Amino acid sequence: MCKTIFKSSWQLLWLGCMAYLTCIPIAVHAQHSVKKTIEGIVRDHEGVPLPGASVLEAGTSNGVSTDFDGHYSIEVATDAMLVFSYVGYQTQELSVGESPMNVTLQPDATRLEEVVVIGYGETKQSDLTGSVASVSLEDVAAQPAANIGDAIQGRAAGVTVVTSGQPGNNPTFRIRGTGTIGNNDPLIVVDGMPLNGGLNQVNMKDVESLQVLKDASATAIYGSRGSNGVVIITTKRAKKGMGKLDVDAFTSFQQPTHVLEVLNAREFATLNNEILANGGLTPNPAFSNPETLGTGTDWLDAFFTTGRQNNITVSYTQGSEKSNLYTSFNVFDQSGTIINSDYARYIAQFNSDVQLNEHLKFGNRLKLNYDVKQNGDNSIQNALLSLPTQSIYDADGIYTGPIGQAIYSGDVDNPIGKSNIVENTTKGYNVQGNVFGELSFWKGFAFKSLFGIEANFWDTRTWVPSYAWGSDVSVNAYLAEGSNKSLTLLWDNTLTYSKSWDGGTSLTVVAGTSAQENQYKYISGSVQGFASEQTQTLNNGLLQPTINGSGSEWAIFSYFARAQFDYQNRYYVTATVRRDGSSRFGEGNKYGTFPSASLAWRLSEESFLKEVTAIGDLKLRLGYGITGNQNIGNYSFASSYNTNLYNFNNTYVTAAVPTVLPNTNVQWESQKQWNAGLDISLWDQKLAITLDTYLKRTEDMLVPQTVPVTSGYSDVYVPYINAGSIENKGIEILISTKNLQRDRFQWNTDVVFALNDNKVIDINSDTPLTTGSIGLNYSLQRIQPGYPINVFYGFVQDGIFQTQQEVAQHAVQLPGSNPATSTAPGDIRFRDLNSDGVINDQDRTFIGNPNPDITFSLNNTVTIGDFDLNIFFQGVYGNDIFNANRLYLENMSVTTNQSRAVLNRWQGPGTSNAMPRAVFGDPNQNTRPSTRYIEDGSYLRLKNINLSYNVPSELFKTPFFSSLKLYVSAQNLWTLTDYSGFDPEVGTNGIDNNIYPVTRSFTLGATLGF
Amino acid sequence: MLLGCSKDFLDKQPLDTINTENYPKTAEELVTVVNGAYQPLQWPKLYNLRMWSTDIMAGNSIVGAGGGTDGIETQNMSNFVTQPDNAGVLDLWRGPWPGILMTNIVLETAPTLDIDQGIRDRSMGEAYFLRAHYYFILARFFGDVPLITTPVHAEDDLLPARTAVAQVYAQIESDLLQATELLPAKSSYAEQDLGRASKGAAYGLLAKVYLTLGAYQEAVDAATMVEGLGYGLNADYQANFSVATENSQESIFEVQYASNGGYDFWSNENQASWSSPFMGPRGSNFVGGSFGWNQPTQEFINQYETGDVRKEVTVLYEGGPQFDGNDYEASYSYTGYNVRKFLVPLSVIPSYDNSPLNFPILRYADVLLIKAEALNELGQTTQAYGYVNMIRNRAGLAGLSTGLSQAAFREAVLKERRLELAFEGQRWFDLIRVNNGQYGLDFLHSIGKSNAAEKHLLFPIPQIEIDRNPNLTQNPGY
Repeated sequence: MCKTIFKSSWQLLWLGCMAYLTCIPIAVHAQHSVKKTIEGIVRDHEGVPLPGASVLEAGTSNGVSTDFDGHYSIEVATDAMLVFSYVGYQTQELSVGESPMNVTLQPDATRLEEVVVIGYGETKQSDLTGSVASVSLEDVAAQPAANIGDAIQGRAAGVTVVTSGQPGNNPTFRIRGTGTIGNNDPLIVVDGMPLNGGLNQVNMKDVESLQVLKDASATAIYGSRGSNGVVIITTKRAKKGMGKLDVDAFTSFQQPTHVLEVLNAREFATLNNEILANGGLTPNPAFSNPETLGTGTDWLDAFFTTGRQNNITVSYTQGSEKSNLYTSFNVFDQSGTIINSDYARYIAQFNSDVQLNEHLKFGNRLKLNYDVKQNGDNSIQNALLSLPTQSIYDADGIYTGPIGQAIYSGDVDNPIGKSNIVENTTKGYNVQGNVFGELSFWKGFAFKSLFGIEANFWDTRTWVPSYAWGSDVSVNAYLAEGSNKSLTLLWDNTLTYSKSWDGGTSLTVVAGTSAQENQYKYISGSVQGFASEQTQTLNNGLLQPTINGSGSEWAIFSYFARAQFDYQNRYYVTATVRRDGSSRFGEGNKYGTFPSASLAWRLSEESFLKEVTAIGDLKLRLGYGITGNQNIGNYSFASSYNTNLYNFNNTYVTAAVPTVLPNTNVQWESQKQWNAGLDISLWDQKLAITLDTYLKRTEDMLVPQTVPVTSGYSDVYVPYINAGSIENKGIEILISTKNLQRDRFQWNTDVVFALNDNKVIDINSDTPLTTGSIGLNYSLQRIQPGYPINVFYGFVQDGIFQTQQEVAQHAVQLPGSNPATSTAPGDIRFRDLNSDGVINDQDRTFIGNPNPDITFSLNNTVTIGDFDLNIFFQGVYGNDIFNANRLYLENMSVTTNQSRAVLNRWQGPGTSNAMPRAVFGDPNQNTRPSTRYIEDGSYLRLKNINLSYNVPSELFKTPFFSSLKLYVSAQNLWTLTDYSGFDPEVGTNGIDNNIYPVTRSFTLGATLGF
Repeated sequence: MLLGCSKDFLDKQPLDTINTENYPKTAEELVTVVNGAYQPLQWPKLYNLRMWSTDIMAGNSIVGAGGGTDGIETQNMSNFVTQPDNAGVLDLWRGPWPGILMTNIVLETAPTLDIDQGIRDRSMGEAYFLRAHYYFILARFFGDVPLITTPVHAEDDLLPARTAVAQVYAQIESDLLQATELLPAKSSYAEQDLGRASKGAAYGLLAKVYLTLGAYQEAVDAATMVEGLGYGLNADYQANFSVATENSQESIFEVQYASNGGYDFWSNENQASWSSPFMGPRGSNFVGGSFGWNQPTQEFINQYETGDVRKEVTVLYEGGPQFDGNDYEASYSYTGYNVRKFLVPLSVIPSYDNSPLNFPILRYADVLLIKAEALNELGQTTQAYGYVNMIRNRAGLAGLSTGLSQAAFREAVLKERRLELAFEGQRWFDLIRVNNGQYGLDFLHSIGKSNAAEKHLLFPIPQIEIDRNPNLTQNPGY
């Protein structure tokens, strides 16, 4: 009752006022100047109406607020100026024109005011003392991608993302180069929780902000997990006063950026005849007249297909003074560019925050995720090598297989058959959620407690039916299934104290504890021979049942503290310390302490610069810290026997086998990093530059101990000792310019540039470590002090022997007079580096560096009226790729198909000085790892181009939406590179071997807001 | 759990490995380590691939396989262009040491345990036997090798130097003599323990060691001890290589294989044999796998006398008996021949990764031939005839013609060994043993392997091992 009266009174008052307001101005109007009513809608940059925005007649107190739909109506003088403003957006002043006046407010470009999440807290961009890269999600949103990792590639200086064309694969991150020979993956923190599963769990559209903590002063808060950098992802919350339903949908078509070309049947048969004849073997009688064979089978055409990608996200938000919530659902569906490689994903996100009272608030973040990755036995290598003279199917429609002697029929499994009949499926079930409460008390104290669970369950399944394709026969169907469970619990407690004084002086201190624990278990089994292949379950198999299962556990317990002090917005100090205890280390070594400190001096606030109006901001930063890496396996410290099998008279018995010589003293890898930076913004932020330079040195790097096999311990699984060292130093520059800022026309440019120099300092052994193994006897890379990590190592090609005389004059490669079994004209001349007259392993040297010198990108955003155009170039410079596909595509020594490059092979003196002769068995080992396969991996590519159109609601009489954006985009549309393989994006080790190629895609999408 | 005191919270021990500093403590645990000491025998580094591949080097066969660089390390060995980076040599160097470590653990811990005397003796006997066997492999391939007879610990010297081969042989002899004392006879083993080292295995191996050292009387004596332990030749030669007749009366010691046990076929833990899938004729679909390795040469085939039943058991040749209902075609092989004796038909084991066929290390036939050879060397040629003829008669052949000179008889025994033990990884050791290896060099040159030189009688020490342990010296000529 009382309430009704109260409400009615207000209504009366309101009506009264309105009546007053509508009457009085008319009188004024009549007396003074011409008035008119202007109405319109105020929207944000995404076209979303802004409720509660202020519209004011300049110089007067005449003003209104926009209503729930962003609509306003105001009566003003015809020659007045209107001022549109909203918190967090740039204020716009416009002279009164024709009604309706629809206004789009741009977000407050003061990047300095942006809030940056820094781990157990947040700070203003302007107060940062360390090196933190914030990726603009606006640009990312314009780039349709399967996950956020793919989308941020090239967006942040010093952050390398390696994506894969394989549907469902998670991307790999490298921050500021390769810092260890061990695990280089950064810590990924999503909504306050270190992520245990993959980034595919996160829907890109749910992400509010993404920060990359790069230097030690920023990452030290994550202590023993900070040395590879930290990626912090925060999902969306509703803004106050907003209720909104959004639908975003896109569909893409995909194709490989480049497909290699192989020989057709005629060319292949000609080559094969030459291979066998030169090898002293009788050529295949079926190939006696290659011309009659025509072009034959195009295996690659059958193997590659047009991929599809469909994505839809529906989200709704509701925000009020006391609470806000964000909920979304995402369906993503992809079929790859290789037949039978698919991925589907469903993600639901639930975020809510409740301000219970002045002191207490609660919230939760929850992600539910289910995904299915499905593929056949997709061998790109086999698709390339399959003989064009072999058909895909035989006359009965059954897949063909090689029959008879391998030198005639080849030895390649039918790649189309293997892709189609084999089913590899991984189904993932993931939950990541946390609940937190925050209590504010006294003056400036806040206590926060967060409890989180991440559950990652995944089931794997492989089904191979029985088949008989020529001599490639699998008598029994095969089924393997596996079930994996990983459960991570997290409990964080933080106490924060913040206090500000007048004059811009403030102090923030946070101290806390964190406990995290993981349990992993798996069980798997396989069986063969099925009475009916309809019954594809483990209990229906008849033969060779196997069962397997095991598990592991780890835990971390930490104390941490950070103090940030800002004196008059001029001098900043941040000090951080974290003490981590980890189960991965033995008794007495479990704890490690990781401190850091950084300083900043904001010159632009000093009196001598304050008057210089051109300089908006000028800040110098310096930081130093020690962080760790504890990704070393769960039980390196433990002395253990593996339990294997032996059998006596076919009865299995347990065989206890000591494998690794234990190193009970194993410790964290620690990394010391200096960072010096400069932030400058000029001319009203028309030009902003962030420059960082760093020197980071990993010490106590875990390197394999030299354990000669005579000890009896494994020669493969050796203990790791903390004795290595790697150094990375580099420069990172981010330049942002606002080239044009007009009401209907804006043009912004971001340039990102990063230079990194990597060097191995020490590996505690004179013997280099070999890496990059791609099969028996093929180790392509070395880790050796004085060189960058993973440098390519091999022989140096020095042309081709044109005559027998040249062979005789050169160092001995493979002696003999029979060209079928020894070095002969047409073979590669390898350089005799030690001049001992013999070509052997001593003649190998460093032949390439897979680490790029420079990574860069250029992002242009142009807004013209309702159109937005985003053009994003990205590239790397100065890295080498070992094109290992060519090892088998250009060997010309066995009966498989070859790349078209072999058409330029040596066939007589003067015919080639690069591509050797064709000869069975390759007696000269022309295919040994050498400079022959090293190619420049530099590239520049148009990573993304996107055009979007914000459809004005005025176009519709009764708009059923509040915002509508249509967009078209293309990824990897254009690439400039000298690299001859599928694609120059091959992964951090620089070896291109049977990699699912990166795709080019074309996308059509729409974002609809209600 | 998360609230708990951090000390326990951070105490996580491995779940799937035995984690204790002082393992083994009980008889059962001791036996698991003894079992582990057998395991390296199964590995591809030893009897699953590299040991039988030495027949290729010895000229009985060629690699074959897929051609090109398939098995390049074995091709290089058989062309006598072996370099210190040869992957096959590396395997043969690396294979025995883990077994030696486990035997050393057994020999160090067993005397300290309060367990049944029978189990202790047997376990130590097995360890002595296996250690001797592993060192015998190393000594013959590499000559001087580090002699390590106690378990190596992290704080120990990990960089041992090479010990003179004579001293290594002294240890081998001493170990085997211990084993003959401690081990039970094969006949006293229960069914599920057949395949463990036995008294007969220790005497048999001892006989071979003595023969290698030229200690002919000792060789005869040791072989005689084996004769007294109840072994006999299988009437059917094929029974030595059949799944159904494993650990037969002729078997003295063989590597035990079974179905793969759930492990990856290519791993060390795998229990299945590689012999059948590797040697199956390529493209034939006779057996699971059929990788086409180890193709006999024409020169080898020519050694068979007419009527030798071992030919059709040992090799596949066009016009020979059908294999599992299939005709063999010469086109399956570069030489026109494939090894047959280890093939397990597709109808028995359909997949490549599951052959349970054991691999013989020491057969009674071998011991009889050792005795014959040793007797001949002692000038007792007449007494030696009987032992060779037992082998020949079983092969369907008449006895050796009487009245052979000592040299002619030696030649006859070695030829008999070549055919009887073909592809069992014995031929190479015979080549380098007789007349200090000159016999082998002469033979290799006679079949066109002109590169073979005296230095090849020993392998190079793998360069990577010298890099890791500078105290290891290289063998001459490499």
